Amino acid sequence: MKLRFDDSVEAFRAEFLEWLAVNRPPAEAIEADPPRSSAYVPEWAATFTRRMFDDGWLVPGWPPERGGRNAGPIETLVYLEELNKADIPRTTNPQGLGIIAPSLLDYGTEEQIENYAMPLLRGETSACLGMSEPDAGSDLANLKTRAVRDGDNFVINGQKVWTSGANFADFCFLFCRTDPDAPKHKGISIVLMPMDTPGVTVRPLTEIISPEYPDLNEVFLDDVVLPVSNLVGELNNGWAMANGSLAHERSMVWLMGVMGMESSMNELLAEAPALLASRSAAERATAADDIAGLYIDTVASRCLGYRGFARYVKTGSAPEQALMKMYSTEIRRDLLQIAAELQGPAALPTGLSRHGAVGSLDAYFTTFGSTISAGSSEIQRNIVAERVLGLPRG
Amino acid sequence: MDLELSDDQFELRDNIRSVLEGACPPSVVRAVYENEGTSAELWQQMVELYWPALGVAEDAGGLGMGFVEVGLLAEELGRASAPGPLLAMVTQYIPMVEAAGAADALAAAIAGETIGALAYAENGRWEGAGVATTAEASGDTWSITGAKDAVLGGANADVFAVVARTDAGLGVFLVERADVAVDLPLLLDPGLELADVEFAAAPATVLLAPGPDAEAVIDAVAAQASVAMALHVIGACRRIFEVTLDYAKVREQYDRVIGSFQALKHRFADMYLAVERANAVGYYAALAIAEDADDRAEAVHVAKAAAGDCQRLLAQDGLQLHGGIGYTWENDLHFLLKRAKSGDVLCGGRSFHRARLAALLGLGEAA
Repeated sequence: MKLRFDDSVEAFRAEFLEWLAVNRPPAEAIEADPPRSSAYVPEWAATFTRRMFDDGWLVPGWPPERGGRNAGPIETLVYLEELNKADIPRTTNPQGLGIIAPSLLDYGTEEQIENYAMPLLRGETSACLGMSEPDAGSDLANLKTRAVRDGDNFVINGQKVWTSGANFADFCFLFCRTDPDAPKHKGISIVLMPMDTPGVTVRPLTEIISPEYPDLNEVFLDDVVLPVSNLVGELNNGWAMANGSLAHERSMVWLMGVMGMESSMNELLAEAPALLASRSAAERATAADDIAGLYIDTVASRCLGYRGFARYVKTGSAPEQALMKMYSTEIRRDLLQIAAELQGPAALPTGLSRHGAVGSLDAYFTTFGSTISAGSSEIQRNIVAERVLGLPRG
Repeated sequence: MDLELSDDQFELRDNIRSVLEGACPPSVVRAVYENEGTSAELWQQMVELYWPALGVAEDAGGLGMGFVEVGLLAEELGRASAPGPLLAMVTQYIPMVEAAGAADALAAAIAGETIGALAYAENGRWEGAGVATTAEASGDTWSITGAKDAVLGGANADVFAVVARTDAGLGVFLVERADVAVDLPLLLDPGLELADVEFAAAPATVLLAPGPDAEAVIDAVAAQASVAMALHVIGACRRIFEVTLDYAKVREQYDRVIGSFQALKHRFADMYLAVERANAVGYYAALAIAEDADDRAEAVHVAKAAAGDCQRLLAQDGLQLHGGIGYTWENDLHFLLKRAKSGDVLCGGRSFHRARLAALLGLGEAA
């Protein structure tokens, strides 16, 4: 155990900070055109992605021709820390950069990499992930969207739901059933679907906060025709690839949760003394105890995350990621609830600018996006119990 | 920041664990509970292994390991719910004697010739502000008057290192057992060997001369002891978790093992989180002490408070999920439950450390 990184890691950090100081997107530009959907790419974001790609800072762990510099995992961690501290969104299309592009690099053909992955990495396009369906949420393998072979094409029919960014994405990384007779995990394939293909209808699902800026969508697929060359990887191997794709996301996603919690806690600690000054001693004591408990969670999430990461670096696997997913999302929810309670009536105004504002109920409600999506907290508990603790399924 | 144990630290922990599995199985703990044995033989074995000297500097005759390693020892002692004076010696008395630079007392302690205990808390308060016991000088000698409660390892102590108040501030004084009144309450966990000690103008010698320097040392030793106790509690809790999980994998009801029910799975996931959460911040605090990090004061309160959260859930669900068998004297579970609950109370309980943390964060009343 040690508190500090090696000198070589600190040198890497300094090099990135130097680059970032010159190349960071202007704060005014971000404010004027904020990242409002997970596939909406404002001009500043496209420019920033392209600069990161060209200079090897987009995915530092990858080789230079793919936007990296062959950095190690600890360097990548430091890079993500600094972007977060600087409050700069690394991408406005997280599923594209974090899941879809790496999956294509792993499983795609040269042509798919050239036509789909590289434009994503250069900030020219954005993508969405077509997984969940009305009857396939937590039970994802139950998906029913069918892709039927017809000569050199697939004909696709079905419906997706909760598809983040489908209203802005250029293409979809679509999961569909190609063998209805196989066991449900074994008949799923992945197909690349341009969103402007005839037969694709996107209907935004307005959300409980800021309905004017929807991110989630229903996607209806009616006789959508796609060439067989759009199949990613092997036929009927989609489930295994999905697990591989999500692993890309999971190995570092904990850091965003931890840093989000830390910055929310810092905001709360900055505001709390003034808010509490006018309250009774009894109320101050109750609030102080609530905040102390959340502070412990803030420290603990960082310690757990870093320890899990050290294990991942050492052994290449981190089974506790499910624990971190449920923990970091739930404590952030709890923090934003307590912060809103502390504000009193000042927590009640709503609007886009209050999404992330600690102390607004807007911010509290938006945290449910994290505790429900990408495997709900309940599913994470099942995963911990079965895969980490070895309790039997059933 | 790397919060995973190093290979050497894993090896040390495994070594301690395997020694304790041999020398301190539940049958040894049970013998102490049932007045059929004492901790004396176990203590002798630990002395022979130089465990009391684990964290003492090499030039003072110790093994020269850091505070993280001391924490690992405390954790393993909790896992074994080990009876005897080692926990008190290695995490309270010896660090105080070493910090005072008292070479003879230190040598006698690490050789097992003297058993000492730190008499600090009064009325359950683990803080200097709670010390009302006084020390008065008359010529070269001092006399101590007051009372200390729940002195860890006090039952078998030959000497007490007593924190007492003077006009110049707090100091630490050595008092022989023969000069004090020791009361031994019948304890929920007899292995902790707690004692209530009364000093009625007891003759004393100076260990740490009263003043600001002494107070800084007292605070530092108390902070270390809090973290060690946090890890001790966590060691007991992790073992509660393991035995409860094992039980849920074999106990069948309604023709299936009870661990296959989702209601229980989710509770096991939450118990696992509570243990991992406390353990991660416990190690962080140990590391912050070992490397004298800027946030060490916060880290200490975080660690002991998190250990408190952990034992609340683990003692409760560990017993509940065992069902009736866990409620029997014959089952070994209760040794761990009692150690976890007792350890939470010692060195400042959960609410004490949360309140101190809140004060450090600029919230609530100042301490």
